Amino acid sequence: MKKFNIAITGLGGQGIITAGTILKNAVLDSVMQDVSGSERRGGAQREGYVEAFVKYIFYDSIAELQNSRKNMHSPMIASGDADALISLEPLETLRAVSYINKNSVIIFNTNTHIPISVRMGKDKYPELDDILESLYGITNRVFYYDFNKLSLENFGSIISCNVISLGVLFAKTNIPVSKNVIENILLKGSKAEDNLKAFNIGLNL
Amino acid sequence: MANLFVDGKYGDRGIILGNEAIARGALEAGIGYASMYPGTPASEIIIALDKNKKNIKNIYTEFSLNEHISLHGAIGASWSGIRSLCAMKNVGLNVASEPAHFLAYTGVKAGLVLAIGSDPGAPSSSNEQDDRWYSLHTYMPIIEPSNIQEAKDFTKKAFDISEQFSFGIVLMAPSRLCHNAGILHFGDCLNRDLISGNFKRDPENYLNLFNLAVKNHKKYLKRNELLKKYVYNSELNMIIDAQISSIKSSRIGFVSSGVIYSHLVEALNFINADDYKILKLGITFPLSEELIGKFLDNVDEVVIVEEAEGFLEFQIKKIAFEIGYHGKIHGKNIFKAYGELTIDDVIKGVAGFLRKAVPEHFSAAINKSEILSDKIPQRMGTFCVGCPHRATIYSILKASGYSNTDSKDRDVIIAGDIGCYTLGLLPPYNAMDWLTCMNSGLSIGQAISIADKSKKIIALVGDSTFYHSGIPVLMNAIQNNSNILYIILDNSWTAMTGHQKTPSTKTEIDGTPIPNSVNLKDLLKSLGVSYIKTLDPNSVKRFSVIIKEALKEKGLRVIIAKRECILQEERRKKIKNIKFKLENNPEIIYELQKERCVKCDECFVELACPAIQSAKENGINNGKEYYFIDPVSCVKCGVCYEVCPNSAIRKVEFNLHPSINSESQLCFLNNK
Repeated sequence: MKKFNIAITGLGGQGIITAGTILKNAVLDSVMQDVSGSERRGGAQREGYVEAFVKYIFYDSIAELQNSRKNMHSPMIASGDADALISLEPLETLRAVSYINKNSVIIFNTNTHIPISVRMGKDKYPELDDILESLYGITNRVFYYDFNKLSLENFGSIISCNVISLGVLFAKTNIPVSKNVIENILLKGSKAEDNLKAFNIGLNL
Repeated sequence: MANLFVDGKYGDRGIILGNEAIARGALEAGIGYASMYPGTPASEIIIALDKNKKNIKNIYTEFSLNEHISLHGAIGASWSGIRSLCAMKNVGLNVASEPAHFLAYTGVKAGLVLAIGSDPGAPSSSNEQDDRWYSLHTYMPIIEPSNIQEAKDFTKKAFDISEQFSFGIVLMAPSRLCHNAGILHFGDCLNRDLISGNFKRDPENYLNLFNLAVKNHKKYLKRNELLKKYVYNSELNMIIDAQISSIKSSRIGFVSSGVIYSHLVEALNFINADDYKILKLGITFPLSEELIGKFLDNVDEVVIVEEAEGFLEFQIKKIAFEIGYHGKIHGKNIFKAYGELTIDDVIKGVAGFLRKAVPEHFSAAINKSEILSDKIPQRMGTFCVGCPHRATIYSILKASGYSNTDSKDRDVIIAGDIGCYTLGLLPPYNAMDWLTCMNSGLSIGQAISIADKSKKIIALVGDSTFYHSGIPVLMNAIQNNSNILYIILDNSWTAMTGHQKTPSTKTEIDGTPIPNSVNLKDLLKSLGVSYIKTLDPNSVKRFSVIIKEALKEKGLRVIIAKRECILQEERRKKIKNIKFKLENNPEIIYELQKERCVKCDECFVELACPAIQSAKENGINNGKEYYFIDPVSCVKCGVCYEVCPNSAIRKVEFNLHPSINSESQLCFLNNK
């Protein structure tokens, strides 16, 4: 059995759950694949912390697929067990370090969204350099971009940050899913043209 | 593209949410009635059916006013021979506990399933209660699916069990299952043409009074014994033998259910421990003494892995006592009884018990995140940009004479309640003095107004919460002449759970008028409220003055803070913009002028609108900090413009000339 775990984090309204759903649809390509992964939603409609897990499972044999000790998968990612982390906010990247290990790939958006406690002067928002130092202390495979800027420049809104980040995921990790599968999923969805363009922007970063 | 949720048949596969899988299971079982009072994490169960109802033959869906009504509704449908699904969140069963306690007495006709979304860790609830304990006295059997496939299959099966033993069945789904998304293998649906109701009188079962109640009590105890025999043979429970048999380790067994079972299987694989027996319970009430006995017979030590207070442990220890089991039973001595039981908790607990090492990358990650955790400021949810509740909370705090950040010793007491406005209890507002269950605000507040006459009291309530169970509370307060200011935050929708209608919603999102909508003000008048004021909360200055005046008055006063949820308002605008792109209304933007701003923090901290942001001059770390309005997130509600004491926020109105009305400009202005 091969596995590939992806944690996606950010804030409400950034399209975290949509990004997870796009990735999950990729497993429908083969009966030997499975996926699990819960989402944190509800509570605050906007501004609150949101996460989605995508846990790909690739069975080696039909026997394994039917083995009740092998075919049941937790919806959560255990500490250190994510192969990739996508975060659409720098502080949330730091909060999600519990999921990553020394071989994980981190992809994050540098556009900050300061929490209330920082506004009130009670906490300090860490500098980008400090965040990078902490991340590089765990893995050296860290990739960061201003997705908001890229999305605004190309689409006139910040709505495409999530799909751009998926492109980066396929460019920078050894995710065992073909990028054509994702492109086909995007083709079938709404705003197909924009999404395909956004995915390709990410692929070429 | 075909809609699999509605049209899927045997052989189809799709990615689906746990809640939708439950709804699909009910659809395959041929339900004709579905009801709920919306509540996270269960809302999507009925939303899935409601939004597709035009394409589903013979289905009725209802977002009832409260859980008491919605469960009664499902009972009525069942008695009429229609299979029915009722859904609610964990605390919903407190409200519906009355009908739940009669369901075993009366029994069902067509199958009835009550799907409950529990919320361990309480990210969106006011408590963590484990509703399974209710079944010790409601006698409702409990079914617990572990993944997406089981969510669908077990729900479907639950309808058969319900009819066979004449019980309403509880389907337990914690938020980790409700909001898990994964593969579902679809089954076929029962023929929907056959769904038609036919109520037949059955006084023997439906009347519960005096000796009839006693007779029915006796009957359900008997049905429960029959059900236990079924449970023993049911394929919903499963004994999984050890993978490798070694004499020493096979004398240890694990018992688990639901999502926690999926954690357990993964945890055992994680630490390479596959030589232990597991009892997976799909039906967790009633337990079969025979099945538990059979499992215990083959083990010397058993570990029960479950969330919350240990419902399985309680039952299994009782059975163990009765059968004279001499082995050891572990459970809550290993796993915590509060908060969410995560995959990490299960790995640590199981590894610790078996004295097995955890992988290095696991412990390294835990250590790293512990070291970093001090550096990471907490992020708490807050009101959406442009939310009218932010303006309401801000106005209340200003009218009470308190700066938002210093509200500990105020002598105006503010009662919170359940809804989006609950976010007002968080910093920087700290605007609520208690928050428990639905309509606890006015209920507790009216008594405090009697117990402590020195304090001024404001009680808050949202429109949906008010209609849920607030009317009797208000009548009680009026009859007993309570001295309290009641502010109804009327945003026209049950916003937090995805914008279901409330009784006073006047128009659908597409502008279609809703007949029979309640006029809130008329309703209040008819209840005997004489002091009623309706205000737009976004006019914060005027609103604060009115609250100040109202606080000086005596008796029960009501202010309706009336403004539609900003998310819905924006949706309406979008629909309208597509239709009338070139309409001649002036465009408005708000601009924070850096040179006039003295950073008094009125907009940035006190109002705390997330669209008002800070940056460093020239983008460098030690540059001077300044505030600005982010044009991408601003929805032009104008509240900051009103609160700025230094006129540093400018309102710019301009008309777009059709010739310069380019796509990109429009996109920018509409924040699309």
